Amino acid sequence: MTGIVQNLWLVPALPILAAGAIALAKQRNRIFAASLAIGSMTLSFFLSLCAFAHVLWLSHHGEQELQVVNFRWFQFGNEWLRLGWMLNPLTAVMLLMVTFVGLLIFIYSIGYMAHEENFTRFFCFLALFAGAMLGVVIANSLLLLFMCWELVGLTSYLLIGFWYHNPKAAAAAKKAFIVTRIGDLAFFLGMAWLYAQTGTLLFYDNGAGCLEHTALASLVAQTTILGLTASTGIALLIFCGAAGKSGQVPLHVWLPDAMEGPTPVSALIHAATMVAAGVFLIARIYPLMSAHTGMALPLTPTVALQVVTWVGAITAVFGAMIAVAHYDIKRILAYSTISQLGYMMMGLGVGGVAVGMFHLLTHAFFKALLFLGAGSVIHGCSGEQDIRRMGGLRRLMPITFATYAVGMLALCGFPLFFSGFWSKDAILHAAHTWSVSQVPFYLGAFGALLTAFYMTRQIYYVFGGTSRLAGASHASSHASTTPHESAAVMTIPLLILASFAMLLGLIGTPAWPWLQAFLDGQPTALHFSAFANAELLAVMLSSSLLVFLGLGLGWWFYGRKPMEDSPKADAMPDAVEQLQPRIFAVLNHSFYVDELYAATLLRLNAGWGHVCDWLDRWVWNGAVQTVAHLALGLAWADDFVDTRIVNAGFDEGCQGVSRGGKILALLQGGQVQSYLRRIGFALIALAVFLLWGAKG
Amino acid sequence: MIAISNAPLLQLALPEVILACTALLVLAMDILFLRTCRKGIRLAAAVAIASAGCVGAILRLLLAPEQANFLNGALVANPLTHLVQIALLVLTILILWISVDSTFTEHVGEFVLLLLIATVGMMFLVGSQDLLVIFISLELLSLSLYILTALDKRSARSSEAALKYFLFGGMSAAFLLFGFSLLYGFSHSTNLAEIASAIHCSHLNGSQLNPLLAIAIVTTVIGFGFKVAAAPFHFWAPDVYEGAPAPGAAFIASGSKVASFFIFFQLMVVGFAGAEGSAAWSRIVPGWVPVLAMVAALSMLLGNLVAIVQRSARRLLAYSAIAHAGYMLLAMVAHTQQSLAALLYYVATYALATLGAFGVVAVVEKRTGSDALSNFDGLSRRAPVLSFCLFIFLLSLAGIPPLAGFFGKFYLFASVLAASSSLGLLWLVVLAIAMSAVSLYYYLQVLKRVYVASAPVDAEKIQVPMLSQLVIVLLAWAVVLLGCAPYLLLRWVLEAVRVSGL
Repeated sequence: MTGIVQNLWLVPALPILAAGAIALAKQRNRIFAASLAIGSMTLSFFLSLCAFAHVLWLSHHGEQELQVVNFRWFQFGNEWLRLGWMLNPLTAVMLLMVTFVGLLIFIYSIGYMAHEENFTRFFCFLALFAGAMLGVVIANSLLLLFMCWELVGLTSYLLIGFWYHNPKAAAAAKKAFIVTRIGDLAFFLGMAWLYAQTGTLLFYDNGAGCLEHTALASLVAQTTILGLTASTGIALLIFCGAAGKSGQVPLHVWLPDAMEGPTPVSALIHAATMVAAGVFLIARIYPLMSAHTGMALPLTPTVALQVVTWVGAITAVFGAMIAVAHYDIKRILAYSTISQLGYMMMGLGVGGVAVGMFHLLTHAFFKALLFLGAGSVIHGCSGEQDIRRMGGLRRLMPITFATYAVGMLALCGFPLFFSGFWSKDAILHAAHTWSVSQVPFYLGAFGALLTAFYMTRQIYYVFGGTSRLAGASHASSHASTTPHESAAVMTIPLLILASFAMLLGLIGTPAWPWLQAFLDGQPTALHFSAFANAELLAVMLSSSLLVFLGLGLGWWFYGRKPMEDSPKADAMPDAVEQLQPRIFAVLNHSFYVDELYAATLLRLNAGWGHVCDWLDRWVWNGAVQTVAHLALGLAWADDFVDTRIVNAGFDEGCQGVSRGGKILALLQGGQVQSYLRRIGFALIALAVFLLWGAKG
Repeated sequence: MIAISNAPLLQLALPEVILACTALLVLAMDILFLRTCRKGIRLAAAVAIASAGCVGAILRLLLAPEQANFLNGALVANPLTHLVQIALLVLTILILWISVDSTFTEHVGEFVLLLLIATVGMMFLVGSQDLLVIFISLELLSLSLYILTALDKRSARSSEAALKYFLFGGMSAAFLLFGFSLLYGFSHSTNLAEIASAIHCSHLNGSQLNPLLAIAIVTTVIGFGFKVAAAPFHFWAPDVYEGAPAPGAAFIASGSKVASFFIFFQLMVVGFAGAEGSAAWSRIVPGWVPVLAMVAALSMLLGNLVAIVQRSARRLLAYSAIAHAGYMLLAMVAHTQQSLAALLYYVATYALATLGAFGVVAVVEKRTGSDALSNFDGLSRRAPVLSFCLFIFLLSLAGIPPLAGFFGKFYLFASVLAASSSLGLLWLVVLAIAMSAVSLYYYLQVLKRVYVASAPVDAEKIQVPMLSQLVIVLLAWAVVLLGCAPYLLLRWVLEAVRVSGL
C-alpha cells in the first residue's frame, strides 16, 4: 500500500500527459481525444481511491497519516530547491472529490460539446485543467502548489476564452486571468516572504517544513509593522491569492463573466477545480493561518482567521443579494457560487478546516449538478440562457428538472435530506459559537434566506409555467425548436451527482462527524445524543425556518400565478422589481462594482499608461535613439575595419595559402628522377644540419 | 652459430604462419579448382578463406602468451604488439571485404595472396626489435605493395605508379640499409636495446653527437619517412594513391601506415635512445627529434597546402595522408608513453576513416569512371547513405567533434604539449592547429560538391554493392562510436603501452 504514496504524482501527471498527447492529435481525432482524457481521469480516480483507502487504513491502525515524498529539483548557490508531494486526509478527500466530479463533467462534456468543431482542443484543455488542480492538491511545497495554481489560472483563461471568436468570451478570459493575477501577486509576495523567513517552502519535511512547529514558532515570534506577526502578514498575503481564485469580494468580478465559457467549464471551475483551489489553499496552510503564540487552543481567532471570516461573511451576503436580480441562468449560479464560497471561507475562519472543507465537498457536488443541469437546459433550449425566455421545462425535461430540483434544495439547505443543509448548518453553528462577534452568524443566516429565495425564483422561471421560448423566438435571433431532454451521456452524470448531493451530507452530521474526525485523525462513533445540544438544535431550527421562509417568499412572488407567455417576456418587470425597482436595479447591476472599477482603477491605469507612453516615447526613446546612433556609428567604423583591414588581410592570407599550394604542387612534376634527386637534397640538408649543430 | 630451437619460434610466429599458409591455400584453391568459375565467385571464395585465416590469426593472438622474446629480440611479443597486430588484421579483413566486388584483375588468387603476404610482413615488422628482421619484413611488405600497385595491368597509370613506387622505394631501402649498417658498425649489434646502450657509452666518452650516428639518423628517417609518406619523401604517394587499384591504395593508406608508424616510433625511441636532442624552439639540440620536427613541419605545410589545389579525390587523400603523417610525427617528436598511446589511437582512427573514404571513392569511381572531384557533384541525391558516410569520414579526418578524428588530434596535441617542459613544442602544435584549419577547407570543398552542388543532368542513382555498403557503414559507425566514446579503444591502448613499458 505504501507504493501509492510514492506514485501519487501519477494522479496529476496522467491528465497532464493526456492533455499533451491530445494536443498532438489531429482536430478530427475526436474519439481519441475524449477517450484519452476520460481514460486518464478514470485512472486518476482509481489511484485516488487507492490513496483514500490507504489513508483510511493508516488512520484505522492509528499510524502517522501524513506521508510526504520530497525530492531535489535544482541547486542554486549552496541550497537545494526541493519539491514534493504529500498524502494526508485532506489531500485524499480532495483528490477523490476532484477526480470524481471531474470525471462526471468530462463524460457530460461528450454530450454537451458534441457539435463543437474544436472538440479535441476542448478536451486537451479540460484534462490539463483537471491535472493542474490535482497538482495543487498533492503539492507538498508552496512553490509547486503555486506553479500548479498558475497552470490552473492559465487553463481557466484558455477554457473561458474557448469561444475566442466571441469578443465577450475573449474579454472574460482576459478578465479572469488578470483579476486572479492580482491576487497571485500578493500570493507570490507572501511566498517570497515565507521563504525569506523560514528558508523552505516545503509544507512538511520531518520537522523542518514551513507548516511545522519550529518554523511557525519563529514566524509567530517576529513582529512587523502595525504589530502584526510575520505569520499573520504572510497568511494575509497568501489569502489575497486565495481570494482572487475563490472569487471573494472585492476580487469576485471575474467569476460571473467567466460564464462565457462552455457550461462544463463553468461546472468544473465552480465545483471541482478553480474556485475550490482558493479554499483548499487556506485549508492547506491552516496551521499558518491559525498560528499564534499560545499554540494551545486550536480554534483561537487569530487576526488572519478573523479577516478570512469577515471577508467570507460579506461575500456570502453580497453574492446572494446580487443573485436575486439576475436573469441569466448561469450568472445566477455564478453569484450563488460566490456566495457559497463566502460561506466556505467563513467556515474555515470560524470552524476550522473540517467545517470549511465539508461545505466545499458538498457544494462541489450540488453545484456541479446545478451547472450541468443548467447546461442541459441551455442545450435543450438551443443555447438560450435568459430565464425569462424559458419556463415550462418541467414536463419537457423531466430528468433534468428532478435532478435540478435536488441540486436547488441542496443549495438552499433544505433540512435533513440534503447535503447542503448539514454543511451550511455546521458553518452557521460554528459562527454562532464564534468568540469574536455574532455578526457573521447573522450575515450567514440572511444569506441562507436569500439563497432559498433566489433559487426558488430561478426554478419557477425555468421550469414552472408554460414555455415562453416559442413566443420569444421571433423577438430574438435564436433559431429554436421545441426544448428536449438531453442525451443519456448528459443525464446519467446528473443522476449520479444528484444522489451524491443528497447523501454526501451524511458524512458530516453532528451525530456522526466522520469528516471532521477523519481530517483531524481521530476515531468517530455514532451518537445521536449530539442532537440533544440545545444550542445546536436552536441553530438548526432557525436555519430551517429561514429556508422555509425563503422558499415561501419565492413561491409568493413567482409561483402563485404562472408567468404569462407574451412576446414581450423580456420587458416584463420582475416581481421584485415591481416592488422595489431601485434596489432591484442596483442588484441587477451587481452593485455597480464593475463600473466602479472601470471608473477608478481602470481609469487610473489608463492614465498611468498614458504617462508611461509619453515617457517612453520622448524620454527613454530619446536615450535609446542616442545610444542606437552611437552604436550605428561604431558599427560603421567596425565594418570599415572589418572589410578594409581584417577581411582584406584574411583574403590575402587565404590567397597566399592557395598560391603556396600551387607553387608546392609544382614540385610534383611527375619525373621520378627529380623525385629521387630531391631525396638526395634532403639527405644532404639534414646531415649538414645535424653535423653542423653537433659541432656548434 | 647459435642453435635455434624451432618449437618456440613456431609458437611465437604461429599467427604469421597461419596467414602465410592461408595465402598459399588461397592461391592453390584459386588456381586448381576455381579457375573456370566466374570471377565474382572466385573472389568471394578467396576473400572468405583469407578472412577465415585472419580471424584464426586474431584468435591465436588473443590466446598467445602475454610476453615473449625470441632470440634476443628477433621476435618479441607483448600486449602492445598483439594489439597492433590485431588492428592490422582487422584492417586487412575490412580491405578484403571492400575488394570483393572489384574487377580490376583476373589474378584473383595472386591479389589476395599479396594482401596476405603484405600483412605477414607487417606483423613481423611490428613484432621485432632487431634491425635485420625489421629490414627484411619491411622489404617483404614493400615488395608486396609494389606488385599490388602494378596489379591493374590494363591501366598505364597503375604501371607507372608502380614503377615510380619501386624506384623510390628501392632508393629509400638503400638509404635505410646504409643507415642500419652504420648502426651495426657503431654498436656491433643489431638489437635495438644494445644499439641504445652503445650510444649511451659514446655519450659518456664525451663526444656530443657522433657523425656516424648523425648520418645513421638521417638515413633511417629517410627510409621510414618514405614508408609513412612524410615530406620531402612523399613524392611517390600521390601517384601511387591515384594509380594503384583501390584496395591496394587503401591498404597502403591504412594498414601499412599503422605498422610503419609503430615500428618507426619503436626504432627511434628504443634504438636511438640517448640521441634525442631537442626541438624546443628556445633550445634546439641536434638529434633525431629536431630532424623529425622539421620533417613533421614540412609535411603538415606541404600536405595541407597542396591538397587545396587537387582536382582528384585520390590525390586529395594522398596529400591529406602526407599532412596526417606530419601530425603523427609530432607524437614521435614528443616521444613519451602518453604520446605513443595518442599516436596509436590517432593512426588507428585515421586508418578507419581513410579506409572508409577510399571505399566511397572506389564506389564512385567505378560507377562514374574516374575519381575527379567533379564526379562527386550532387552525390547526396544519388547515394544518400554513401554521402553521409563520406561526410563522417571527411569530417573525422578534419578533426570535427564528436568524431574520432577530433579526439585523436586532441590527445595527440595534448600529449605533445605535456611532453615538453615549458611548452617548448608549442610552435609545432600551433602550426599543426593552423594547418588543421586549412585542411577543413579542402575537406569541405568535397562535401560542398556532395551536398550543395547539383548533380549532372543525366546522373542516375548509384547502386552500391551490398558488402561495400555494409563495410562503409560499419566504418562510419566505428568512427562515430570511437569519437563519442574514445575510451573504448584508448583504455586498451593505454593499458598495453603501460604494460609493454616502452
